[in-house]
Amino acid sequence: MRLLLAYIDPGAGSLVIQAIIATVVSIPFFFRNAIRSTIAKFRRSPQPVDKKGLTPPDPE
Amino acid sequence: MIERPAAEREPGSYRDPSGFVFRRDGHLYRQINARIADDWSLFTYSGLHAALVEKGLLIPDEPAELGLAPEPGAVAIIRPEEIGFISYPYEWSFSQLKDAALLTLQAQAVAAEHGMTLRDASAYNVQFRHGRPILIDTLSFERARPDEPWKPYRQFCEHFLAPLALMAHRDGRLGLLLRDFIDGVPLDLASKLLPRGTRWSPGLAAHVHLHSRAQRRHAASADPAPKAASMSETRRRALLDHLQRTVEGLHLPAQGTQWADYADQTSYSAAGTASKEAIVGRMLRAASGERAWDVGANTGRYSAIAAAAGYEVVAVDGDWAAVERHYLALRAAGEPRIMPLLADIADPSPAIGWANRERASLLERTNADVVVALALVHHLAIGRNVPLPMVSELLAQLAPKLIVEWVPKEDPMVGRLLAAREDVFPDYSVDGFRSAFGRHFEIVEEAPIDDSLRVLFRMAAAGITASGARTPSGPPFASAGDAASRKLRS
Repeated sequence: MRLLLAYIDPGAGSLVIQAIIATVVSIPFFFRNAIRSTIAKFRRSPQPVDKKGLTPPDPE
Repeated sequence: MIERPAAEREPGSYRDPSGFVFRRDGHLYRQINARIADDWSLFTYSGLHAALVEKGLLIPDEPAELGLAPEPGAVAIIRPEEIGFISYPYEWSFSQLKDAALLTLQAQAVAAEHGMTLRDASAYNVQFRHGRPILIDTLSFERARPDEPWKPYRQFCEHFLAPLALMAHRDGRLGLLLRDFIDGVPLDLASKLLPRGTRWSPGLAAHVHLHSRAQRRHAASADPAPKAASMSETRRRALLDHLQRTVEGLHLPAQGTQWADYADQTSYSAAGTASKEAIVGRMLRAASGERAWDVGANTGRYSAIAAAAGYEVVAVDGDWAAVERHYLALRAAGEPRIMPLLADIADPSPAIGWANRERASLLERTNADVVVALALVHHLAIGRNVPLPMVSELLAQLAPKLIVEWVPKEDPMVGRLLAAREDVFPDYSVDGFRSAFGRHFEIVEEAPIDDSLRVLFRMAAAGITASGARTPSGPPFASAGDAASRKLRS
């Protein structure tokens, strides 16, 4: 591991900023994924038609 | 067993202690060392190797005999498929570099699905094969460890993101900075050169500007692994996703991609163009060969004719905008046989890196059987003041066969070149041309272009025998394959 670090030399500054940026961007990333998986869930389920003949609301 | 021919280690393959590339008996091999035996077996057994090759992200290889290892400590030897022509990132246009960056991120995503990760993200690990970028460093993958940061982050930013951002936001020519900085564009330099407005673009603000500041602040820090460097899987994925969005969001400004129709800015009439195309096609088929270099290819009108005549083509042009446009057109058409390359033939890419041997010069990498030089000689002889014999010598160094266009002084395009300079070119005449090129070539045939004063010549290097073999004094034709593999930074 140490050898590899020396080989790539990521630099302390790059490691620190990478961790900070990752933390910040993980928030929108998390929500985007949550929304996407919700949409995917609705898309995947066969359009069930309820008794009144209406399809479920679009999940946006 | 008979004695094996000596193995020659590739000069560019020395940085990684995990293995290296060598050539033996004309074939290219890669030695994998014991120190990464675990990663190598995981690479195979996790299915990552097969998945990457199947998706066209990694160069295919086949196992080779362990006895071929030139140095002790080998656990495996592989024989990767060879790339016909090796190019370097400073010879790529914006979209070529961008596609290489996205390929790297895609390979990382596939690796993550298999419990592995890239351990470097060098632009030199990417080559173009059949018109698409592909990873050539089979040893770039290692086991992903939980909570580990993405190690190639800095390298990715320096090799890909910084030059792409500079090209998109400042000038398309700034990709050439990679020629001066073999380890990628330093982020402090990129940060200084980028317009101030890029500080408001979240991707560039984070990965270039803040990244550069963090590097400066921590440069003196003795602790190489700050606590904050541990990173969860989700955060790592978020970071990579953000890098990808940042790269995808970079585009050349509109005026950079809407160049006036270069290829159509000729002095030819429709009849002249048709005649030239027909003659070039015929001459290419008559010359016979597998690889052609179209020098001064512009946006590739005649490269396409060479490809149609069955050649693998390297289309060299010094205008980044023309190369960009050519690449985009080829990518849209799915044309696999033409490689657009950014290089000025009057100042070809030099050899760079360790001992000037790490990355070969453009001339060392020639693999052409035929060089096509259309509407080029007058630019060199008059535009750049290169004496005709020197033009001929250079073209002879590129390939043993030549298809060249003679453009006389009376031609309007030459007139345009001469308009702004003194005519100090008394030897620029068809007789001067014949005598200059006669030093290195024999004229096989010549054909005037209809409706024009121009003449096309097909020539073959003096000293080429009927079988096409070269005399020893010729350019290093046989070494084309060696140079072609001088690439791997492993």
